[in-house]
Amino acid sequence: MSVSVLFFGATADVVGKRKIEIISATSTQLLENIISEYPRLASHKLLIAVNQEYAADTVLLDDGDEVAIFTAVSGG
Amino acid sequence: MIDFAELTTEQIDITSIARRAIPSECGATVTLDGYVRRFTRGRETLYLVYDAYEEMALKEMRKLIKAAHSKFEISNVGIVHRTGRLDIGETSVVISVAAPHRKAAFDACEWLIAELKRTVPIWKKEVYADGEEWIEGEK
Repeated sequence: MSVSVLFFGATADVVGKRKIEIISATSTQLLENIISEYPRLASHKLLIAVNQEYAADTVLLDDGDEVAIFTAVSGG
Repeated sequence: MIDFAELTTEQIDITSIARRAIPSECGATVTLDGYVRRFTRGRETLYLVYDAYEEMALKEMRKLIKAAHSKFEISNVGIVHRTGRLDIGETSVVISVAAPHRKAAFDACEWLIAELKRTVPIWKKEVYADGEEWIEGEK
């Protein structure tokens, strides 16, 4: 499935972009693919959101889904 | 109900946010003014940069407001978080909670800021004289 992947803060700095397109079947597979392409991400504790909801477990992806990969939040 | 959750790149006017959240049955508004600290664990910060996943941040803020209504006897909540570059002393987040009685407003405000720091997708970069770092999680 072709999905958009968004990066913010530290993950955007590592990837050097705020958005890429990628083909993956599940959120877990997507994360593995992204980490193998950008190995420096592996030193961070990463969170994943699918369509703007936290995805604690593996989520099946559909075409056009919006996935975001980011580090633990630090607002406030 | 006149709850609100917003992000802004402009300076935040705390008083106007507090006043927006007051219905007639209320007797107290508790407002948190969170601002940029100069020294963190002895290290001097020059300025901060906040990044946000805007659509999801607004969704998560609205979820927190909804949950606060079910947990506390409160009437209205307003949350405004700033993004972009902030200088020392500038307000980064305001949470105003209006309630018939103050205790519920204090409790809800404390709960809301703790949950915001845990769940709302916003990130802070500390810029120091000799480097910078994105803060990951609460410190």
